[in-house]
Amino acid sequence: MKRYAYINDDGPSQDLYRDNRISNTKYTVLNFLPKNLWEQFSRFMNQYFLLIACLQLWPLITPVNPASTWANEREVWVVENGIKKLIQAQDIRVGNIVWLRENDEVPCDLVLMGTSDAQGLCCVETSALDGETDLKTRVVPPVCMGMDPVLLQKIKGVIECPSPDRDIRRFDGNLRLFPPFIDNDVCPLTIKNTLLQSCYLRNTEWACGVAIYTGNETKLGMSRGVPEPKLTAVDAMIDKLTGAIFIFQVVVVMVLGVAGNVWKDTEARKQWYVKYPDEGPWYELLVIPLRFELLCSIMIPISIKVSLDLVKSLYAKFIDWDEKMIDRETVTPAHATNTAISEDLGQVEYILTDKTGTLTENKMIFRRCCISGVIYGNESGDALKDTELLSAIETGSPDVIRFLTIMAIGNTVIPVKSKNGAILYKAQSPDEDALVQAAAKLQMIFVDRSANILEIWFNGRTIHYKVLETLEFTSDRKRMSVVVKENDTEKIFLLTKGADEAILPCAYAGQQTRTFTEAVEQYSQLGLRTLCFAWRELMPDEYHEWSLVFKEANSTLVDREWRIAEACQRIEHDFEILGVSAIEDHLQDGVPETIETLRKAGINFWMLTGDKQNTAVQIALSCNFISPEPKGQLLMIDGKTEDEVCRSLERVLLTMRITTSEPKDVAFVIDGWALEIALKHYKKAFTDLAILSRTAICCRVTPSQKAQLVQILKSCDYRTLAIGDGGNDVRMIQQADIGVGISGREGLQAARAADYSIGKFRFLTRLILVHGRYSYNRTAFLSQYSFYKSLLLCFIQIFFSFVSGVSGTSLFNSVSLMAYNVFYTSIPVLVSVLDKDLSEETVMQHPQILFYCQAGRLLNPTTFAGWFGRSLFHAVVVFMISLNAYTYEKSEMEELSMVALSGCIWLQAFVVTMETNSFTILQHVAIWGNLVAFYALNFAFSAVPSSGMYTIMFRLCGQPSYWFTIFLTVAAGMGPIFALKYFRYTYRPSKLNVLQQAERMGGPILSLGTIESHPGTIEREVSPLSISQSKSRSPVYEPLLLDSPNTRRSFGAGGTFEFFQSQMRLSSLYSRNCKDN
Amino acid sequence: MENTDTSTSTVRRNSKRPRYSKFTQQELPACKPILTPRWVISAFMLISIVFIPIGVAALFASRDVVEIVDRYDSECIPANETDKVKYIQTPGEKSCNRTLTVPKRMKPPIFVYYQLDNFYQNHRRYVKSRNDQQLRDSKEANSVSGCKPEDFNNGSVIVPCGLIAWSLFNDTYSLSRNNITLNVSKKDISWKSDREHKFGKDVYPKNFQSGGLIGGGILDPNIPLSEQEDLIVWMRTAALPNFRKLYGKMEVELQENDVIDVTLGNNYNTYSFNGKKKLVLSTTSWLGGKNDFLGIAYLTVGGLCFFLAMAFTVVYLVKPRQLGDPSYLSWNRNPGWR
Repeated sequence: MKRYAYINDDGPSQDLYRDNRISNTKYTVLNFLPKNLWEQFSRFMNQYFLLIACLQLWPLITPVNPASTWANEREVWVVENGIKKLIQAQDIRVGNIVWLRENDEVPCDLVLMGTSDAQGLCCVETSALDGETDLKTRVVPPVCMGMDPVLLQKIKGVIECPSPDRDIRRFDGNLRLFPPFIDNDVCPLTIKNTLLQSCYLRNTEWACGVAIYTGNETKLGMSRGVPEPKLTAVDAMIDKLTGAIFIFQVVVVMVLGVAGNVWKDTEARKQWYVKYPDEGPWYELLVIPLRFELLCSIMIPISIKVSLDLVKSLYAKFIDWDEKMIDRETVTPAHATNTAISEDLGQVEYILTDKTGTLTENKMIFRRCCISGVIYGNESGDALKDTELLSAIETGSPDVIRFLTIMAIGNTVIPVKSKNGAILYKAQSPDEDALVQAAAKLQMIFVDRSANILEIWFNGRTIHYKVLETLEFTSDRKRMSVVVKENDTEKIFLLTKGADEAILPCAYAGQQTRTFTEAVEQYSQLGLRTLCFAWRELMPDEYHEWSLVFKEANSTLVDREWRIAEACQRIEHDFEILGVSAIEDHLQDGVPETIETLRKAGINFWMLTGDKQNTAVQIALSCNFISPEPKGQLLMIDGKTEDEVCRSLERVLLTMRITTSEPKDVAFVIDGWALEIALKHYKKAFTDLAILSRTAICCRVTPSQKAQLVQILKSCDYRTLAIGDGGNDVRMIQQADIGVGISGREGLQAARAADYSIGKFRFLTRLILVHGRYSYNRTAFLSQYSFYKSLLLCFIQIFFSFVSGVSGTSLFNSVSLMAYNVFYTSIPVLVSVLDKDLSEETVMQHPQILFYCQAGRLLNPTTFAGWFGRSLFHAVVVFMISLNAYTYEKSEMEELSMVALSGCIWLQAFVVTMETNSFTILQHVAIWGNLVAFYALNFAFSAVPSSGMYTIMFRLCGQPSYWFTIFLTVAAGMGPIFALKYFRYTYRPSKLNVLQQAERMGGPILSLGTIESHPGTIEREVSPLSISQSKSRSPVYEPLLLDSPNTRRSFGAGGTFEFFQSQMRLSSLYSRNCKDN
Repeated sequence: MENTDTSTSTVRRNSKRPRYSKFTQQELPACKPILTPRWVISAFMLISIVFIPIGVAALFASRDVVEIVDRYDSECIPANETDKVKYIQTPGEKSCNRTLTVPKRMKPPIFVYYQLDNFYQNHRRYVKSRNDQQLRDSKEANSVSGCKPEDFNNGSVIVPCGLIAWSLFNDTYSLSRNNITLNVSKKDISWKSDREHKFGKDVYPKNFQSGGLIGGGILDPNIPLSEQEDLIVWMRTAALPNFRKLYGKMEVELQENDVIDVTLGNNYNTYSFNGKKKLVLSTTSWLGGKNDFLGIAYLTVGGLCFFLAMAFTVVYLVKPRQLGDPSYLSWNRNPGWR
């Protein structure tokens, strides 16, 4: 369906399309109720509670997610009724003309109508949209070219454009202006004529455009997608367990129901005092089963939902509060927007990360260079401080000066003088910015670019150059050149810079390029971005001849790009190579360490970036993402056609399968094109590859491809975490199980859409290893414990029904039942949010322990069976002991009920105590205070004459037999469990136990642990240390010790790799099995 | 989407910066106990040292209690009666004589109980069939909710209503030794709190057992409920199908081999459901009646703990195991994950 945007039409056509309100919320006023209810009741547990609520006719209020609103109140200039007005961004309608000033954010998708530039150009920064940091030029459509700003306010016309879509690289529209402006010529529009939402206007004083897509219908809005409600693996598991318990409950209810009906018909009719009526109502057979259903409804603890929500919000608070996750530079604390998914952090298996701004600071700095074979900056790591270079400049070495000249003017940078005289550079790419800045520091100051004249100050002299041609950078040519004429000498030079593979082959015959190749090699191993510099003097004839060809190529309509490339080829040859520059895209602090630590924790990393392939690979190298050649291996998947991609994919897959047994770090690299084809036609092969590969680099990918990759990993049942900082990461962040946004330079978009926002990439370690892990552990305990305590009470009720004629009598009174769930048992367990099984330091030193969380070892059907068994055992203990201790004349209903209840309360206090790893004062208060509170509360109940419990508790507490019964219950209930735990803890310790023991004994673990925090320095000491230790140990463990993580490091990371491969398989198999169950 | 000015956002974030406390940083000082062998073994030792003496004491206390149990339900049916149910449901005097021999000297107070077996006072229909308001307050005589089907009799309210009261136990015992009647006091056999707060002093039985079907005992309509102690005792429902309820107390000492003659009125119908009726005479100890369970259980648990302590000690000595041995930490010990 086409849409027509009527320019400056204030009539009814405006209301055809939606306004510019952007909603990032899941709910609107209208759909809140049905949508939220649907989401709530798609969870089994809630369905169950609904059922129970209907049975009991209790009003159950489901917790609701607050609908979040976005600030749409930013003010923009818009033409209304021919007058410029300041209105709120959300009130922009399709067809409005929006005026933007420099550095404004584009509020909606616009078609450019006019700019301050005479040629109708303007620069936009699209990083928030596609992640590319260089500036892009946008051009006014030809019909509007050169129109007067005043006229623009009155312009009328119609723009024909396609329905909103998510393609940010394509726009096919038509513009037709109404008379009197121009005649009825239809003017085609392309993406070049648009300003897309969330881009920034740069280097242009003002620009104006017609709104074509607004609100959530913009290209960005369409590609944002609708976030699904996120459900953690733990929640899914709890749901599954709830389902299992529900089935168990139905079986119990059916068995007891049948038994009750049988007993009623055989025995109860004889028990005259019960006075069963001879003829019951039609539903009589259902009465006893339903009674048991109500009796057993406590089997699934209603309090678990409340408790979980409570503790989850506390986990989120702990993240918000964490001092160690505050970015000191910008004073940004971490923030958990989504409070419900902290456990998932501890179960992450794949991290998909953006590159620019996430791993790097997005700040480029010139570090080293190699000029005609001399390498500068290697000692100090900073060429700007290299005295040799400085003296070479002073002495006026021609090569060095030439090199600096290219640095200063071989670009499209625009210098701007600020008010205080300082020169600011506006560069399309941060690399060029870094080069110009560095040149300025080396005395070659690029001062001014006015029209075609460039002005440079060098050592106090002013030099003027005239730009004759600019041969722009394209990713195919991988180089850019300028043709300049030195004004003083009238000499014409071709100045070129570009990638080594694009420059070095073009050197003139006879030039030795070996030193440059070596320099490039050396720099890329350091993770620096390299550029080669070359020049050639052009004879005027040669230039003039060529410039004709170039001009012609520039004006062709068919295959223009190819023709231009061909024309450039004609002149870019026989270079004299000058040197190589090395630029550091400054990595954020601690990125390599973070990646290494998380790798050790068994997490796989994928890098998804909109950037170029070699940049991505270089950054990957520099942050430990992939290993350099001998150890690591990069497998490229490329190709432009289906066949090529298919072949390449199969080859990589084969290599990957072969090398899984080799100690090698294998990673695959794929670019956006190939990815598109692979995802479309070879999804299965690609999925196989995704499962095999621990590391992948995907470059030049679009936001929706990022999201698709997340989707693929999710479909393989992996827990994914996506981290990014720009608007182009939003979809991926929303798609992933956990989205983490870095509140960085590219704005807060990602941080807003994310579940967690952090200031720096390195906080990810803490977020996952500390907060995620603790959250998982705590929730695992809390949820299973909630089931345990409910089952305990329920089993007692079931047992009691066997001695009460299977009639469904409740042993406990309603007050006790209610208080048991919401008060007596929930408070002690709530303080388990303070429990730490291992200290933060230990976890950081042994990130491998995260495996327990990833594989779901603390919450799965097996552990749950343990808790189920424990509750059964405890129910037997409590029931048998209280029944036998309170026989005959003592078997009064209220008394027995309180004895059994006290037994349960005492047991649960001890169970919590035993399962707690670290006791803070709050835990003691909660556990023992709860016990005291239990008695206080029951004394209070016992003091009220009208209550059924009147005097019961006083009476009981006065009897020695009561206390003997309780102590017996505790000893009999806890003794075996305690003994079992001790035995396991000491003789069959898990890794977790060993770490706990070591940590608390202050043993050698700490000395071992430091190795991992300073991998570089201690690597050499590792093997001797381990060997000396192994001498004192029994020989059984010796071969194993050689494979300990520390020694493996020095033998090569292959072992780790392989090990984790198998581990991953194990874990995924395991979790899949669990899920099947 | 939002063009946030950097400086203002910094200010905003600044104010959001959390205040430091040990709680918010999860750094509260914590005690982290570990299960060292010494600790565990001494814990088990301690339990056994405490439990075994208690068990012995409890067992002695239970053995000190002298108890005479006499089942009389079948013996008190004349031999020529074939239909026991019909016999018990026929109105009239159904007295019966029993002889008990005292096995051991019984010191006062001696408690006289009746014991019913297979009687489900805890049945759901039964246990709720009462109305506490009505029992407590004369003004609430009309509240009979929950009392069905014993709530109204020909349209007039029954006090006390409900199945429990309706099925009041009504066998009677009179005990004599050497033809001298033993005084069985029926006073203070119920809980004081029940008499004072649960059963009203001004609530009198009304229309009780006057319907077509008579359940159990009848009540004197001139005595307030708070003094009908048999009813009060009966209405403390038992949690188990076998239970004893206090019939009365004797303040006499019975010597060994004393012969006690019991004349009992056998009125209560347990025959239709094969329930047993027993007469129990028992003394009491500090731990209550005769019940070996606590003593035996304490001895068992104490013994087991002692055994565990010993076993752990032996294992500890024979196969010492260093806690936190880092050799167990090699992450490659596949697949022995636990």
